[in-house]
Parts: sequence; structure tokens; C-alpha cells
Amino acid sequence: MSFLLCVSLKLWRTVFRNCQPLCSYAGCEFWTFLLNVASSLSSCRMLRESYPFVEDSFSRFPSQSNIYGLCQAGEQELLAATLKGKVVCFRYQELQQKIRPVAKEVQFTYIPVDAEIVSIDAFNKSPPNRGLVVGITFIKDSGDKATPFLNIYCDYEPGSEFNLESIAQSCLNLELQFTPFQLYHTEVQCSGESSETVFLLSGHDQRIHLYKENASLHQFEEQPVERLFPELQQLPSKLVFDAVRPVSHLCGSLFVCLWYLRRAVLQSWRVQFDSPISTVLLFPLSCPSDPKEPSGEKSYNLLVTSTIEMAVVYRDVHECGLSRSMCLSESDQWDAVLCALVIDLDFDGQKEVLLGTYGQELLCYKFHPTGSGSESQFELQWRRSFKSPLLSIIYLDLTGDGLRELAVLTLKGLHILQHSLTSTADLVLERLTQKVTALTAGSELDSAKATDTEEKDAPAKKEECSLSN
Amino acid sequence: MRSLNYVQRVSLDFTGTLFPHAICLGDADNDSLNELVVGDTSGKLLVYKNDDSKPWITRTCVGMLTCVAIGDVCNKGKNLVVAVGAEGWFHLFDLTTPTASKSDSSSQYEFLSAEDQKPFFTQHIPANTKVILISDIDGDGRCELVVGYTDRVVRAFRWEEPSESSDLGSGQLVLLKKWLLEGQVDSLSVNPGPEGLPELMVSQPGCGYAILLCSWTQQDSNGSGEDAPATPGSEGPSRDVVLHLTTGRIHNKNVSTHLIGSISKGSKEESSKCGLFALCTLDGTLKLMDSSEQLLWSVQVDHQLFALQKLDVTGDGREEVVACAWDGQTYIIDHNRTVVRFQFDENVNAFCAGQYTCKEGKNSPCLVYVSFNHKIYIYWKVELERMESTNLLKVLEEKPEFQSHLKVLGVGDFPLEADVSRHIQRNEEERTINSEADSRVIKLHWISCVHDF
Repeated sequence: MSFLLCVSLKLWRTVFRNCQPLCSYAGCEFWTFLLNVASSLSSCRMLRESYPFVEDSFSRFPSQSNIYGLCQAGEQELLAATLKGKVVCFRYQELQQKIRPVAKEVQFTYIPVDAEIVSIDAFNKSPPNRGLVVGITFIKDSGDKATPFLNIYCDYEPGSEFNLESIAQSCLNLELQFTPFQLYHTEVQCSGESSETVFLLSGHDQRIHLYKENASLHQFEEQPVERLFPELQQLPSKLVFDAVRPVSHLCGSLFVCLWYLRRAVLQSWRVQFDSPISTVLLFPLSCPSDPKEPSGEKSYNLLVTSTIEMAVVYRDVHECGLSRSMCLSESDQWDAVLCALVIDLDFDGQKEVLLGTYGQELLCYKFHPTGSGSESQFELQWRRSFKSPLLSIIYLDLTGDGLRELAVLTLKGLHILQHSLTSTADLVLERLTQKVTALTAGSELDSAKATDTEEKDAPAKKEECSLSN
Repeated sequence: MRSLNYVQRVSLDFTGTLFPHAICLGDADNDSLNELVVGDTSGKLLVYKNDDSKPWITRTCVGMLTCVAIGDVCNKGKNLVVAVGAEGWFHLFDLTTPTASKSDSSSQYEFLSAEDQKPFFTQHIPANTKVILISDIDGDGRCELVVGYTDRVVRAFRWEEPSESSDLGSGQLVLLKKWLLEGQVDSLSVNPGPEGLPELMVSQPGCGYAILLCSWTQQDSNGSGEDAPATPGSEGPSRDVVLHLTTGRIHNKNVSTHLIGSISKGSKEESSKCGLFALCTLDGTLKLMDSSEQLLWSVQVDHQLFALQKLDVTGDGREEVVACAWDGQTYIIDHNRTVVRFQFDENVNAFCAGQYTCKEGKNSPCLVYVSFNHKIYIYWKVELERMESTNLLKVLEEKPEFQSHLKVLGVGDFPLEADVSRHIQRNEEERTINSEADSRVIKLHWISCVHDF
């Protein structure tokens, strides 16, 4: 088996979201703000060393899924594809002041009964366009010949652009000339200032295919990938070249390039792994106690997980490239690492690395910066067992309270892990109390400034509310 | 219906087969930490402790063990293990370790080491036992032993011993009363009645139950009263049984029914009068009622429920009803009819729920499943923060200091809920506007290419 992975990250956006505390009152940013501001170490200790999640629900699926089988659709919904052609939509339904988890099957049209779904992805169109787009790749096996397809679902009817039921009924069916693997979406800058979200699909032909909406025809079509992603253009030759190496039948090579906006590759690095690479993730990490780095400045790190070797974090890739590597110890103990996520779990402002393994374990690593006499390293903080292998994890706000949940797709179904609400509520109250005391004391300028922004935003928010009323 | 997965479990080795009532959780050795006691069909009594997969203590009994129980059956202020076989052999074990009972440590130690495997007391009682209960059924503050039989008979016994002797072995079981019922008795339970006095309840087929009256107490209080029966032998049993049939959709009048009483309502005072009890049937009906016959809720499921237990999984003092089906589907239902489901992945031979000391050296709520492949699984971390799904806003809104803090900070004036939903609708546009504002874009593309040929 061969597969290609293509991950394209919007670094600036991640940075923007995490550094700039937006004080929209009930949105994600508000809590991130509350929880990040005045994060005292004492309060973090409370949550540390323990597994901070509580399982809120588990939905069993009729057949197994795969590592490309979970995606976020819209703000608060998840789509999970199972092998036997069924797509399940998971969300929390509000009924009589109570919320309850609902997993129901969505009947996507033009998926034959004998189809096996390979991957699923969904995105919201970039403004000014509106609407949810869902892409599903599947292989129709009619016995003699297996035919791969990409179905793109999108509704242009005003008013129903976000209605999953009607989206599922309007399909664009594309027959593929290659076996599809991961379906991914990213935002690209088109002519001028406008941006557009496109699908990227990796295939067994060692190429990455780009599908872009043709606005005039109201449909998606394949476009040459080179125009928007010049680094992908160089890919085929390199891949073929690597493939000739007789070292191993499964050889993973990592190719990283730093790319500037105006379509020029600034710098690129290549590393050869001994095993296939399952995920790559770019994430910022701030370590205020690190003496080598000026405080406040973030370093960009690259997490690479492979199926046999230990997971590796390359530190400061924007400066050092792939020279500063750090292994996540014991991450190879529970079979292949299939999925990874970098999020701030304990609300101390620093991100933790989560790894999901085929050995039914969820691992959490925390970064410990250089202290007295010890090297900076990632340490295994906790692990949690599941009933079946972990395939994919997403961190999103399903319950609509601004606090995000961890959705874990396993071979048997979908687990929703919620932050322990009791301890998180205690933490919010504690930090609010800190802010209130800081405000009432009025002595500290910093805190006053912080609340200033909040107060400024609050009336603005109120105006918005009255407007929409 | 909310469903979830428990994963923290230990598996214990158990090679025999057992009857569904031959398993119980309780403090067998009086160290305030609970053990698991299992009796198998070959007469072995096994006691498991902590997360050790091998039995802590093994004892041999006569005959086929049908029911085991832990309780202060002799009214000595000390828990004993009771094992009753189908042939009617009643065994009493004192598993208190010598170090734990310091008062009579020397004699106790001699006794245990000498006759290690033998019960310190055995007695033959009528055969065909099915289910037992150790509880105070007549409200005198002393425990009685109630035994249910496969021939629709229930008997109550009391431990009595000569007053001059302090030795446990010198007493014996004395029959108090025999009740004859119309249908099979699948479970025995005690529930506080409307006046606060304990009532002995037994389940009856077709989602029914019967209250068995303890006539000896009436005789005590009335003396030789006016309604003293002239012919107690013939009329007594039927009149002392008050049969109640619950209404509702019962397909099969003969369907096997289980019952559990004295479900805690949270506070002691509340629970002591008009107690709650639950019923379940093999065709999937679950009911919660109180002793004034008021139905609190009824749930219909499509699984064959064969075991009914109570367990406080949320830690709020109110006990939830736990029902288990043959195929492993387990329902945990609170007093407000909120359901949490858990699917145990194998067929279940026997089930029980309760407090057990598995890890961390303290009692915690556990679910115990006996499978058909020589294993007992104990799920030792089944506590839930709450039964219902909720979100952070709802949790915080319940805290008064949250609102007051927000007021001080100047953001707490408008309703939270309304804003959230509105915010969500707008969210997507706002986000993209925010991102557009920043036009100097540096993009990093990471490509990982993997293949073979």
C-alpha cells in the first residue's frame, strides 16, 4: 500500500486565533481568553497529572471506519463515514433546556450500496460565498473492476446552503483515474485579495489533485495543482526517485518546504523515515521559561508521527529546519500512531501533544522546557485506554458553550470526551475571581489593561445583540 | 439515549459456572473495604479482593451453591458470609482476619488455622433454595435471613442461640414463618413502607410484586388479639401475602420479574419513609415506584433484562437503578428517568453492581459481569459527573458567584443562552472577516510523501 499525505496549514491563522484573545462573550475565544489570561501555575497543578476528560457519549457504528473517516461539518457537527457506505452525522440537539447527543445517518445520494468509503471532508466556503461543501471519495466494486469516485455535495439554493439534508441530495459525481486516499481542504489566495477553499486529494498515482469550484458553472472541477501549489509540482519526480531506494518496501520520506505567499519556495528540507508517516502537524509552542528564546516569541514546531518509529517533534522549523529533533519517548509502545492533535488541554497556555494509537491508547505529552539540570523534553503525562484502535481525533465545540470537546473515532464508533465540567467550571471561577480582585484592587496596570479590552468589547457585543434583535 | 463506554476494568479468573444469585459484593472480612464473593455449582466459595485475579480465599461447601450473601446474620455486629446450596445446606463463614479482630484474636486464630476450609457452622434447611436476603424485615433492628425457593415458597429464619453462651457456633437458625406464593420468586428485597416500617417484598411474574407480612410482630403487639387465626396452618400463608400487579403493557403474564427496594433518595429522612423500589422484566419493562404504589417512571427497552441492582454512580447520594440484559446491554437510570447505556461486549452469566475496593484502596462503585468464558470483569471506574449531557455555560450559570463576577467585570448583563445561539449563527462570517483582515500571509505547506511499490 502506498499513500500520500498532504497537510497544508494556515500558520498565521493558528497564531491569530491563539495569541489574540478575542472577547466575544460566548464564543470559543472568550473561554480561551479567560482560561489563558492570568493562568497561575497553582491552578494548573490541580488538573495536571490526571486525565482531564469525561466521556460524554459513545455512538456505535454499524461498520468500521478508517483514518480518513472523520471530519467537522459546520460549526457543531461531525460527519463520520463508515466503510459500508454509510455516513453518520453527530451533533448535540437542544431539547427542553437539555442537550443530548444525536447520531443519525445522512443519506448522501449517488453512493451505491456496494461502495466502500475511503475518505470524507467538509468545509464552509470562503466568503463572500456561503455554503457547506462535503466531499466523499469511495470505491465502487462491481466485481470485475473497482472504480473510484469523488462525490462533491453542495447546495446553491438560497437558504439551504447549510442544510445537510438538502446538501446530501445535490451531488457532483466525478470518476477518478486513481485510487484516492486523503481528502483535505485548504484556503488559497486567488486573483487579487479574494480567497477560496479548495479540495486537495492525494492519490496512488503519487500526485495531489486539486478540485476548485467554478463559480459560473456552479460546479467543482479538477485544476492543475501547480498554479496554486508550486511545491506540489516538484513532488512526482522526487517521489519516484525516493521510491527507487531498495531499503524498504515501505519507505516514508518527509518533505518540508517553507513557502512564501507569492508562490516561491524559500527553503526546503527532506528527511527519510523508515516507516510510513501517519500525520504531520505544525504548531506553535511558547516556552517563557526557556532562557534561549525571548519571552513572548513563539517557536514553530513540527510533529511527525510514523507507524513504527517514535513520534518526533522538530523544534523551530522556521529557523533550524529539521535539525532540532526531539523524540516522544514510549510513543512506539502501543502499536502505530495513527492520529495526532496539538491542543491546550489543561488551559495553562501551553499546548500538549495528543497521540492516538492502534494499540487502543490515547497518549498525552507535555512539554517541559529546559529547567535546572534537565534538558527540555516532551514527557508522557497520562494515557487512557479505549476499547478499540483509535483512528482519528478532532477537537471542536459540539455543545455550543465555547469549550471544545475531543471527538475520538475508533474502529467501533465515535467517542465524545468532554472536559470535566466540574473542574473546568472551578477553574473559570478561580480565574474570574483573580481578575475581579485585580480589578477591584486597581493597583496592577496590566490587569486593568486586560479588562479594558474586555469592557470595550462587551458594549460592542451588546450593540450587536440589540441589532440582531 | 446517552450511551458510553467504560474501559477501566480488571478481569478475575473464574473457571466454574454459577447461579445468577451466587454472587455478591460486601465487606466479608470486616475491614470496611468490600470484597466480591462468588459461589459456583461445585460448591466452591471464592472471595476476591482488590484487583488480584486469583481468589483471596477459597472455601468448600456441600452441594451446589445457589446463593451467597454477606451480612450480620447473627446480630453480633460483624459481617459473616452465608452460602446456601440447592440441597439445603446452609454454611456460615467468618472471614475476619485474626489481626482485624483483636478482641478474641487468640481463640479465633486457633480456630481458623485448625479447620481452614470448613465453615464454622452448617445447618440443613429445606432444599431448593434460589435466593437469599439478610436484612431486618420486621423492624426490630435485628437481621433476619429470608430464603426464596424454586417451589414458590419463601421462608424467614432468625439466628437464635442460648443466652448463656457467647460462642457463635452454639446457635442455630429458627424458622419464623413460611409464605406460599402464586408465582416464582426471582428476587427478595426490603423497602420502607409508607409508615417507615420495613416491608418484605418479593417479585412476582408479569411485573408484579407481593408484600409478605411478618405476622409474628402482629401477634407480639396484639397479644392474643381478636383476629388471631383459629386455623393458622391452612389460612395463614395466603392471607399474609399481599399481591400487587402493576398496570401497563405486559405481554406475558408469566414473564420473569426482578425487584430491588430501598433505593436511596439522597437524604436519610427521605429514604426511610415511602421507599423507592424498581421492577424489571425479561421482556424489557423497567419501572420505578414508591411504596404508596405511585409509578415514578416506566421505561421499555428491547433487551432481555435479567438482573436489577442499585448503585450511586453520580456520587450525589441518590442511587440509580442498574439493569443488565443477557447480551450485556446495561441501563443506568436515575430518578428523573435519565438513561445512560453501556454495552458490555459479551453475553452475561451473572451481574451485580455495588461498592468494591478494586484499586486505590477505597470503595468505589463497580459493575461486575460474569462472562461465559471463565472470566469475571469488574468495571471499577463507573462514576459519572452527571447523568445528562450538559455544557459549561449551564454548569456555570448554576453558580451564583459566576454571575456576580461577570457583573463586576461588566459583561454579565444579557442572557447567555440567547447570545450563544446567535453567536453560533454569525460565527462563521465573523471568523472569516477576522482572517481577511490580516493580509500578509505566510503559508507553510508540509508535504509528506509515503509510498511503496
